[in-house]
Amino acid sequence: MSNSIVKLLALDKLSNLFNMIKQNGGIRGSLYKLYRQEELKDGVLVGEDELGNKYYENPRYFYGRNRWVEYNDKAYLDYDGSQVTAEWYGWLHYKTDLPPHKDPSRPKYKWMAEFTENMSGTTGQYVPYSTTREKIEPWVPKQKSSA
Amino acid sequence: MLRQPLTRALALSPSRVAPLAARKFAAQADKVEVFIDDKPVYVPPGTTVLQAAAEIGVEIPRFCYHERLAVAGNCRMCLVEVEKSPKPVAACAMPVMKGMRVKTNSDLTRKAREGVMEFLLVNHPLDCPICDQGGECDLQDQSMAFGSDKSRFTDIHFSGKRAVEDKDVGPLIKTIMTRCIHCTRCIRFASEVAGVDDFGTTGRGTDMQVGTYVEKMFLSELSGNIIDLCPVGALTSKPYSFAARPWETRRIDSVDVLDPLGSNIVVATRTNEVLRILPRTNEEINEEWLSDKSRFACDGLKRQRLVTPMIADSRGNLTPVEWEEAIVAAATALRDCPPDKLLVVGGDLADAESLVALKDLANRLGSEAVCTEHYFPLDGAGTDLRSSYLLNTKIANVEDADFVLLIGTNVRFEAPLLNARIRKAFIHKETDVALIGPKVDLTYEYTHVGDSASIVKDLATGTSSHEVLKRLENSKRPVVILGADQLKTSEGPALLAYTQELALSLQDKLENKEWKVLNVLQRTASQVAAMDLGYKPGVGEMLQKGPKVVFMLGADAGVITRENLPKDCVVIYQGHHGDAGASIADIVLAGAAYTEKNGTYVNAEGRAQQTLPAVTPPGKAREDWKIIRALSEVVGARLPYDNLEEVRARLAEVCPSMVSYGDVQNNNYFAQARALAQSLQKPVSGTLDVQLKQLEDFFMTDSISRASPTMAKCVQAVIKQKQSPY
Amino acid sequence: MSARQAIQVGTKTVKPVLSVTQGEARLRVLSLYKAWYRQIPYIVKDFDIPKSEEQCRAKLKEMFLRNKDVTDIRVIDILVIKGQMELKESVNVWKQKGHIMAYFKPTEEPKPKDFLSKFFSGVE
Repeated sequence: MSNSIVKLLALDKLSNLFNMIKQNGGIRGSLYKLYRQEELKDGVLVGEDELGNKYYENPRYFYGRNRWVEYNDKAYLDYDGSQVTAEWYGWLHYKTDLPPHKDPSRPKYKWMAEFTENMSGTTGQYVPYSTTREKIEPWVPKQKSSA
Repeated sequence: MLRQPLTRALALSPSRVAPLAARKFAAQADKVEVFIDDKPVYVPPGTTVLQAAAEIGVEIPRFCYHERLAVAGNCRMCLVEVEKSPKPVAACAMPVMKGMRVKTNSDLTRKAREGVMEFLLVNHPLDCPICDQGGECDLQDQSMAFGSDKSRFTDIHFSGKRAVEDKDVGPLIKTIMTRCIHCTRCIRFASEVAGVDDFGTTGRGTDMQVGTYVEKMFLSELSGNIIDLCPVGALTSKPYSFAARPWETRRIDSVDVLDPLGSNIVVATRTNEVLRILPRTNEEINEEWLSDKSRFACDGLKRQRLVTPMIADSRGNLTPVEWEEAIVAAATALRDCPPDKLLVVGGDLADAESLVALKDLANRLGSEAVCTEHYFPLDGAGTDLRSSYLLNTKIANVEDADFVLLIGTNVRFEAPLLNARIRKAFIHKETDVALIGPKVDLTYEYTHVGDSASIVKDLATGTSSHEVLKRLENSKRPVVILGADQLKTSEGPALLAYTQELALSLQDKLENKEWKVLNVLQRTASQVAAMDLGYKPGVGEMLQKGPKVVFMLGADAGVITRENLPKDCVVIYQGHHGDAGASIADIVLAGAAYTEKNGTYVNAEGRAQQTLPAVTPPGKAREDWKIIRALSEVVGARLPYDNLEEVRARLAEVCPSMVSYGDVQNNNYFAQARALAQSLQKPVSGTLDVQLKQLEDFFMTDSISRASPTMAKCVQAVIKQKQSPY
Repeated sequence: MSARQAIQVGTKTVKPVLSVTQGEARLRVLSLYKAWYRQIPYIVKDFDIPKSEEQCRAKLKEMFLRNKDVTDIRVIDILVIKGQMELKESVNVWKQKGHIMAYFKPTEEPKPKDFLSKFFSGVE
């Protein structure tokens, strides 16, 4: 009965809001989160990957929005979808419900490469080098010793 | 030696020696009438059938015959039918007779050609698709035009074709001897023109091979020409091997600048790259030959290039910058420099346009210190009279000389094609040569008079007891060639004065008043143009003053070094190669090489010629005069020309002969120059020495050839060959 | 050519394009100007150009005054015809936004004219 009154007066929404602000570190923290990721959500911290990204879940949100990632603070505004590591990708995209640390069947070998984000469009991007010789070989001035 | 049999061969066809309109000192004879395909033609007696046919434009196919070489008559391709002759005759060796009727297109002639072609193709490999000569091959063309479509020699399908081992004749010429058809053109060229009797044949019939008997390098400065001479793909260019097909390349007529003769060349380019350089026939300069440096140094145009302007940073390291920045830096340096502390140096490969622009700029800034790297005496007439620093006899006329006196010059390496002319005169005309200077191999016999400068004095004053003096006085067309390198010493003015005295006293006694005796052989392509434009030869005097700014236009001869400049001196280098000049520069302006610009060059005779742009300058490099023009505007002394026509108009203002391309103006004022030089005839005691003594010295003499890997290979190969016991 | 023909050629009256008199041509110019003037609010709206009506009117006036020294009736007529064509293209939205904006600023960069700027821009 009281529950329905709470619902009727939309007080549960209000408590959710307070909860959200509390979880995100008060008003300052919430404003910062809003500035950084344009969204304020409350949820359960499911885990953290090797890059320091935090993965949250809250079934209250609709399917598709109920799992999300908050990128490492170090990334600040330069976060990118490709920073989600390969292990967590499956969970985040609903390919599996088991997060990596709770999934015993995942293979783990020494030779597996470390995860790297996609560097396209940055200075760190991969550029194929030319295997043909330049038509003109420019003169390279002799560098004087930088004493 | 070679000389006797050849003069006898000459009796057969005197017109071969003097086929050229350029040579006005040759004698004329009565003519006989012959009929080529029923067309009458009048030719001098002794002319061959082949030449008579060429007179009226009938070309007879040939492989072994070459108009500049002795007649061999061994390929038999030029067989033609002559009326009343039982057999077809070889047109290249048969002299015409009065009333002779030649049929160049009769059934018999055609059948003879087909037969010869069939024989040639028995053993010639059909590897045209992988042959470098493909597309410019005489055998290919003539088998298409005159050959048969079938062969009766089916046994080669079972026994295979004859195969011959390839020879190694150095880093320039690639040999695929299986393709050789034994025309012996290369052998004749080597012994007649190049003067290196290394090539020959061994064996007879199927076993005949062309080669060097023992494997050795073809030690000649003209070796590349046998590539052009070879009618098949047996001798091809090693640096150009498998690079391109002749129909893919774009050919641009240009002028060579790596020696002072200004040989005419064709630059073959593809995809904005110079692939090879070939000679272009100019009877007055290079005939159809080209020296190896001019031909093969073109790969130096792709190495060590300055592709962007550069400025030295705070540590003194040159760093690439934009044009705006470099020009402003150079302009600031020029503007802050007091006029008497500015030194401008024109280098070896500079074109006349940039030279005149640079001189105008320096003069506008109030400086008169506009110099070239090589010294020439300014005493007496100095550079005021053109006759004192040019080859007045002219290159083509040298072969009509009857006595040649060389003073302190190794013509063979300083001007290879002038040496080829002298050799031609020596072989075909009984011309004798004498040399004062160090004993060098000139490829022909000469009288070595000694290497002391006082000999010149004795000859000039008539006190010499040497037979050369008598020979000179008795000769009808003497030539005296003085190497410009000898004038750099303190005795230079006296030496020049004595040479002038000697040459002009000989000239005065001649019956033929047109004949010029005095010649001064310059060392570089730009020197004559620079002196015509009023550059002061030599930088010594200006260096003494301690310049604050030095502007070097391609000055790479190493005359200016950091050691002989004051510490705070700003060096601006404009040029196309990173060489001696660029490595001491504070500001580098990237210019264009001679294949990349439309430039005027004046050769050692005083003949103005122009290069045409074959490729674009690499990277941000620009045409040289444009850089100077842009710089002038930023400095605030704007030069009044915006395009090439206007620069050339300015050139014509300064020196009208410089825009009459291809012509040489006759020089006069010999007597005046002689009179002015009288007072300079001081005693001389030094010895004459030349810079280029051996073949290995010849290949790398300027910034382009020093950057060329092929030239470096040549030097290595020559040194290795010299150490070998053969 | 005979003398008579030569005189005929010399005195030949040219065929008018539209207008016969100066006054008629003037009327055509004015009516074209008015038509454009009335169309301007719609052009600004339809093409959503970043220009106000005032700016457009100023440009219209400027473009008409550019030809103020033309006196040949035939030339004036042709200019009016061309102006009408442009107007029609604007009214029917055959033009696009860029075409309208091209009245205000030509899109192509002016080529360097003097030697120095040509040199620095790499044209020469």
